Amino acid sequence: MKPDPQSAPVACETCPSRPRGGLLRLGLRLSHWDYVVALAGNPNTGKSTVFNQLTGLRQHTGNWPGKTVMRAEGGFEFAGKRFKLVDLPGTYSLLATSPDEEVARNFLLFGRPDVTLAVVDATRLERNLNLVLQILEITPRVVLCLNLMDQAQRLGLQVDDRRLARDLGIPVVPVTARYREGLDALLQAVYDVATGAVVCRGYRVRHEDPELTRALEPLVARLQRAFPGLPNARWVALRLLDGDERIIEAVRTGEFSEPAPARNDAPSTPAPPVTATAT
Amino acid sequence: MLGQLAQTGAALAWAVAALAVIAAFVVLARAALARWRQGRQFRLRVRAEDALKHVYKARAAGERPTLESMAGSMQVSVNRAAQTVAGLQKADLLTLGEEGMRLTPSGERYALNVIRAHRLWEQHLAEKTGVAENEWHRRAERQEHLITPEQADSISAGLGHPTHDPHGDPIPGPRGDFPPMSDQLLSSLEPGRWARITHIEDEPEEIFAQIRAMGLAPGMQLRLLAKDPRRLRCWCDGEDHVLAPIVAANLTVQPLAEPAAAGEAARPLLLSHLEPGRRGRVVRLSPRCRGAERRRLMDLGILPGTVVRSELRSPTGGLTAYRVRDTLIALREEQAAQIQIEPLAEPAS
Amino acid sequence: MSSRGQSQREEILACAQSLRWELGAQFHEKLVESIYADAARLAARAVTRPGATPRFDLDRAIDRLVTSRRWGIPLMVLLFALVFWITIVGANYPSQFLASLLVDRLYPWLREGAAALGLPAWLRGLGIDGVYLATAWVVSVMLPPMAIFFPLFTFLEDFGYLPRVAFNLDNLFRRAGAHGKQALTMMMGFGCNAAGVTATRIIDSPRERLIAMLTNNFSLCNGRWPTQILIASLFIGALAPPYLAGLVSAAVVVGVALLGVLLSLAASWFLSRTALRGEVSTFSLELPPYRPPRLGQIIYTSLIDRTAFVLWRALVFAAPAGAVIWLVANVRVADASLAEHLIHFLDPLGFWLGLNGVILLAYLIAIPANEIVIPTVLMLTVLTTRLTGVGGGAGVMFELDNPADTLAVLRAGGWTLLTGVNLMLFSLIHNPCSTTLYTIYKESGSWKWTGVAAALPLALGFAVCFVVAQAWRWLGAG
Repeated sequence: MKPDPQSAPVACETCPSRPRGGLLRLGLRLSHWDYVVALAGNPNTGKSTVFNQLTGLRQHTGNWPGKTVMRAEGGFEFAGKRFKLVDLPGTYSLLATSPDEEVARNFLLFGRPDVTLAVVDATRLERNLNLVLQILEITPRVVLCLNLMDQAQRLGLQVDDRRLARDLGIPVVPVTARYREGLDALLQAVYDVATGAVVCRGYRVRHEDPELTRALEPLVARLQRAFPGLPNARWVALRLLDGDERIIEAVRTGEFSEPAPARNDAPSTPAPPVTATAT
Repeated sequence: MLGQLAQTGAALAWAVAALAVIAAFVVLARAALARWRQGRQFRLRVRAEDALKHVYKARAAGERPTLESMAGSMQVSVNRAAQTVAGLQKADLLTLGEEGMRLTPSGERYALNVIRAHRLWEQHLAEKTGVAENEWHRRAERQEHLITPEQADSISAGLGHPTHDPHGDPIPGPRGDFPPMSDQLLSSLEPGRWARITHIEDEPEEIFAQIRAMGLAPGMQLRLLAKDPRRLRCWCDGEDHVLAPIVAANLTVQPLAEPAAAGEAARPLLLSHLEPGRRGRVVRLSPRCRGAERRRLMDLGILPGTVVRSELRSPTGGLTAYRVRDTLIALREEQAAQIQIEPLAEPAS
Repeated sequence: MSSRGQSQREEILACAQSLRWELGAQFHEKLVESIYADAARLAARAVTRPGATPRFDLDRAIDRLVTSRRWGIPLMVLLFALVFWITIVGANYPSQFLASLLVDRLYPWLREGAAALGLPAWLRGLGIDGVYLATAWVVSVMLPPMAIFFPLFTFLEDFGYLPRVAFNLDNLFRRAGAHGKQALTMMMGFGCNAAGVTATRIIDSPRERLIAMLTNNFSLCNGRWPTQILIASLFIGALAPPYLAGLVSAAVVVGVALLGVLLSLAASWFLSRTALRGEVSTFSLELPPYRPPRLGQIIYTSLIDRTAFVLWRALVFAAPAGAVIWLVANVRVADASLAEHLIHFLDPLGFWLGLNGVILLAYLIAIPANEIVIPTVLMLTVLTTRLTGVGGGAGVMFELDNPADTLAVLRAGGWTLLTGVNLMLFSLIHNPCSTTLYTIYKESGSWKWTGVAAALPLALGFAVCFVVAQAWRWLGAG
């Protein structure tokens, strides 16, 4: 789902010198914020470039897969709202086989960000979607940043962002972060999802194994009874079946039924939602 | 003046050193004595636990445990075995009735705890360490007596609460829950049938070593080709194997209706044998590749059905870069040998 | 939460546990497979690939060249030789400039200023001769090479060449039980061991990462290059005919650096078969696409994240070391300075190692930074031999512009060719500087491994020096 071109300020996307529509980089000054945005993605997708462009900070990760970075945070202001951006370690997956993956997974699950900005490499979509689909299992409030579009063009790849948005049920924005192309549309999409102007219908992976489906049903039903309003009961059930200790612990202590971490200014009445649907 | 000072300094240094040596000696001697005392108690407990395990396993297999069989499996004299049994009776863990030795409920619980510790430790060695396969059982035999139930729980948590050990045996749950077994021995399989290996008995060690040397592991699929009283011939993992019946009796299998994957029928190629510039489709990862390494390969997108192209070879050898889902990933030769593929023709260009 | 909720939750867990028995061990794999299957399907719907055969693929062409059997290795050697050459030659001028500014100009000015202010002599000595001089020395020797080396290295990193180096060299490291990326952390170690240790983060397998950390010290860092070059030209270059002297001493220094690489591989091999035998290993190496490097980002990263970071840590350790050096030379016990007592005490050990008490003491008190070892050695030699007319007095480190003068001071201290050779060996093989040790502790989070990182090279250094000294004397006698 791409933001409506009429409402989104998509003026001159190719002039880098133009002051970006309403973006105010806050760097490390984050005394209070309206929304928390998590930045997730595979290693080597230009995730830190996006982070630096939005916050004005300079965080470095080399052209390296698997470089462990600590969780970095920064802030920006857009259209009068203050956003805290949390950069998660770059991982291939969220099945928690490495400390990096656990950090990223735990933040998405327990930190409950308002929006998750998933940065993917447009030239290696298949590999990157593996992670995006796992994120969507945890939270549907995702904006897909289709980065490195210049590289895709160089390779002659055509990426249909509208079709991808329709399939995934979330906003998809083509971006070349390096040259700041498409950042306005990206910010608008993040803003829309954060304020509730756009409601995501996140795609859910199809598990075709009948044995698995049979095992999932009773467990999901029980989870929903114990934790009403749990947005990702199926994912929690899958993790329980996989013997994930952190999740077992969270079920045992009832962590899932706690309210989301307090925000100072959560919107009480969202604008009438524009609904995106998954096929 | 200076010389005197140096001499005094040296004398002082010697005195300190001598004191340190004496102190170290005292500490070591005391530790040795304590260890000897503990060691005696420990040996008694090991014997008791081994006896419980023996009775449990024999009963589970539908056999009748005797003092002789117990002495044999524990490698002690029948006398010793009898002493141990007497102790267990006193502790109300075992009863000696008409139909031989039986475990009391608390004895059964105890035995399951020991088995749980053993299998968890084997799983731990397989998943979290680089310890060689042939050492798993020996180390676990020792460790099972040292792990408390609480420690077993935390080991289980650290491993993602595994349900089976690396030999394919189910690991009893913390409350002694145990799944039913529906498998049969390879020696009793009908010729021509397909089956999946579910368990490889790790005792006696020579036969276990022989089976491992053939490259058989739980999870592999095999087809029994022919069977006569002297030997069995089966096809597994791209190779023919000939087994003596006594060896086949150490393999537990789950019969399959038909091979799970169509590619299974064809003889797969190993990725490490793929010529540079050629493509192949992954049939599966060898069951021998386990734990963190297996999950890493899967996270990188190397899964059954994935098309892989061999692209670059390291000039010093031993490493090849493959194009997997639009990414160049370098794998070492021994890793690539864990991945079975079917070669694909080059797309017409 | 009510107890009803509690029992409800326990029931969920029990239900999950019993379902797990039914699902069996293949479950995780089925899960991963279905996610990837969906990802592949969605990607295929969204992406249209060019129908015709792809045009000239630049990435593939570069990869063919830099990993080719014939050109891969020579190209790599050439590239790194170039990087080191630029670093060594380029660092010379700013180093001299900084030294003349901080040591030749600012230092006397500070001394006079302090005297004019009427500060007591001990305070002036401790503060200016000790702390200031040590930090000034570290800055002028350490800063310029790092400020040149790190941007060049980061350039190659950003471009994407470094993973190809790991790819080319992996086999060497595989045989030593290590990871190919260790080639890069080793290379980084030639700039600075502390930075090399931090760089081991790129190795994601815990076992191989630890090996890389523990053996990084065998890379001759830029704090030790000046020592090697000085001693090589004084003692070994001097043996060759004058027109060959420069070449011979350069060859000797390169030989020492290569010995370090060999030792690093040998130590990796040893560790992977002893202390780290049971640790799990997960190898993976992705070769990312080449990307045009971003110059601004490179300069920022290498100067702020790496150079300034390392420099700051070095200064934090060098400042107190300066104070200790000054105190050791100036605190008098009975009729001699503390330094002289210690040197006499260490002399017998030094003799067995083919070194002397001065060198051992210099290594002991200059552990924070290898850069100040030679100035400390010179100062201590003058102190013990009671030479007059050289140096700036007790506790004041110095260097001499003229090599012949330096040689004269060292000869007066009883140095022979053996002392020179063994100093070069010991400078290569000894415990890491305290900055590096601290970094190892930070990165590994374990005192045990930090201890191993210090003890292993130190023991090896003692052993090598001892063997060389005994063999030398035996051959000399025979």
